[in-house]
Amino acid sequence: MATQSEYVIETTDLVKIYKTGKVKAVDGLNLKIRKSEIYALIGANGSGKTTSLNMISGALFPTSGSIKVLGYDIPEKRRLISNHIGMAPQDYSIYHDLSLEENVRFFSQLYGMTKAEFSPRYDELLKILRLEEKRKVLVKNLSGGMKRRASIACALIHSPRIVFFDEATVGVDPVLRTFFWEYFRSLKDEGITLVITSHVMDEAERADRIGLMRAGKLIAEGTPMELKKEHNASTIEEIFIKLSEGEIIDE
Amino acid sequence: MSKKDKNEILPKNLNFSFRRTMAIASRTMNQFRRDRRTLGLLIVVPIAIMLIFGLAFSGEVNNVPIILDNQDVEYMSINFGLNLSEALQADNSVDITDGDYTEGIDLVERGRFYAAVLIPENFSENIIRMFMGDDISGGLFIYVDATKPQVRASILGAIHDALDEAMGETGINVVQILAHEGAEFTGIDVGIPAVIAFVLIFLLVIVGVITVTREKIQGTEDRLYATPLRSSERLLGYVIGLLFIALLMITLVLIFGVFIFGARVQGNVFLLIFAATLFGIAHVFMAVFLANFAQNELQAIQFAPLTAIPSMALGGMLVPIVSLPVWLQPLSYLVPLTYGINLFEGIMLKGWGFAELWVDFVVVAGMCILFFVLAVLTVRNRMRD
Repeated sequence: MATQSEYVIETTDLVKIYKTGKVKAVDGLNLKIRKSEIYALIGANGSGKTTSLNMISGALFPTSGSIKVLGYDIPEKRRLISNHIGMAPQDYSIYHDLSLEENVRFFSQLYGMTKAEFSPRYDELLKILRLEEKRKVLVKNLSGGMKRRASIACALIHSPRIVFFDEATVGVDPVLRTFFWEYFRSLKDEGITLVITSHVMDEAERADRIGLMRAGKLIAEGTPMELKKEHNASTIEEIFIKLSEGEIIDE
Repeated sequence: MSKKDKNEILPKNLNFSFRRTMAIASRTMNQFRRDRRTLGLLIVVPIAIMLIFGLAFSGEVNNVPIILDNQDVEYMSINFGLNLSEALQADNSVDITDGDYTEGIDLVERGRFYAAVLIPENFSENIIRMFMGDDISGGLFIYVDATKPQVRASILGAIHDALDEAMGETGINVVQILAHEGAEFTGIDVGIPAVIAFVLIFLLVIVGVITVTREKIQGTEDRLYATPLRSSERLLGYVIGLLFIALLMITLVLIFGVFIFGARVQGNVFLLIFAATLFGIAHVFMAVFLANFAQNELQAIQFAPLTAIPSMALGGMLVPIVSLPVWLQPLSYLVPLTYGINLFEGIMLKGWGFAELWVDFVVVAGMCILFFVLAVLTVRNRMRD
């Protein structure tokens, strides 16, 4: 049964070794994320960010270690809490041959939402994400930025308490990126916890707390201010380069 | 977390949900509604295959050119040679040219004719004396090209038929009584049951494997894992969606087969539809299972020839199972097409019902269960990769 904790996400010594490759994709990860926090998991490509998210959301079983989300053990109890988790994977991950509305409706049905629950929430999300004109448009005909917003609509339709955005702001223009961060802030204000991954370091400056990942490990963690102070650096990128000791990361 | 928070996140609808299953099903169907080219392919291909296999591979070979040298002379006012050559002339499976046997042999060697037939000078005499008890042997000589077994079989068939006819007057007529209520079948009649089974296997495996693999390529699979969707709901959803496509295909094949090509259905039409549906479900389950082993569309498409070719070879589509080498025959019972052909042939040609076909029904139903369980297990397993 769930234990009382101030954290909504808690991982302990989390390890993932893929059967193929035998590489430790995640190597002893200890994450603690509080309610309505914006937590940015930052690291190079292949540092284990997506693998970590997939394990926390229950899509992938860990090799060892434990995960608690909203106080429940994952992956054992993943279906108990899946209604409270929203997932926006990288690469949009929506159906290109369906319209925007069909996509969002499809995911709402998987979350067991009724028509009466769907419509007001859908209208609200489309207004916020500025997609109102695109309801009937096939996803393949949307621009990259619109696809990204459509993906977010699918992840938020069921009003989850925790949302994972995997590389949510990659390939997004500066105006839209600013909009996204404003929106993330407003979600936080509603009490939603956000976990955002990115390989763009300065992205992280806008998060409440940052975890720097390298080779499946957390190499630094803290608020942007704390980290900069601790490592005597002016940007997060500088810290990352310092901690990598100039090594070219090719993981 | 507070107690109130805890209560709020209590699970809802964790049991098997038909709603979630139907969400997957309708999304699978939508995919085809949008992809008109694939839908068109699914409609055109079965009809094309039916034409090709029904007409070309039905075993009927017509107008085979042969040389006939009839040297027979009348004996006791009977001329079997003449009767025989008249009967052959009338048979449209062979195209007779009168000529010299020795020259004919040369022409067969050069590939101009498939056979040279000699009715020797004393053919009638020998036959009659044989029947009267003389110790004598009489017969025909056929110099035949054996490189094409079906052509050879057609020539020999024509000669046997002609012999039956020609000897009629001697009273040793061979009376043929056709099984299955005397039904005489055309090439298309005989071809269609196998074609229905084959088309279902071939197209459903391709379409099924690709539908599921696409989920992986698009990345939507990761999203599905993060929802309350169960593996069984998901797989059943695919099956229901794809079954809709399968039923469309079955209906079209039957309509074209029966109304355009005049194929006959001796048995119960509803039993036939039921058999086709069950067979379709089994293959959709199989496709969903196989999809676990494909990482991309290119790998997915490879499953089509992989399932189709052994089926064609061993399932009795091209060569009847009894004609296969004895050591190979047990393998035929591992190929689903065998049971499909048994079912469709049984119902359409032989007019059989459930009483005669229950074993095949049980095997196909067993396949459904086997592949469904395997598919659910492999999906779960992949999360542990």
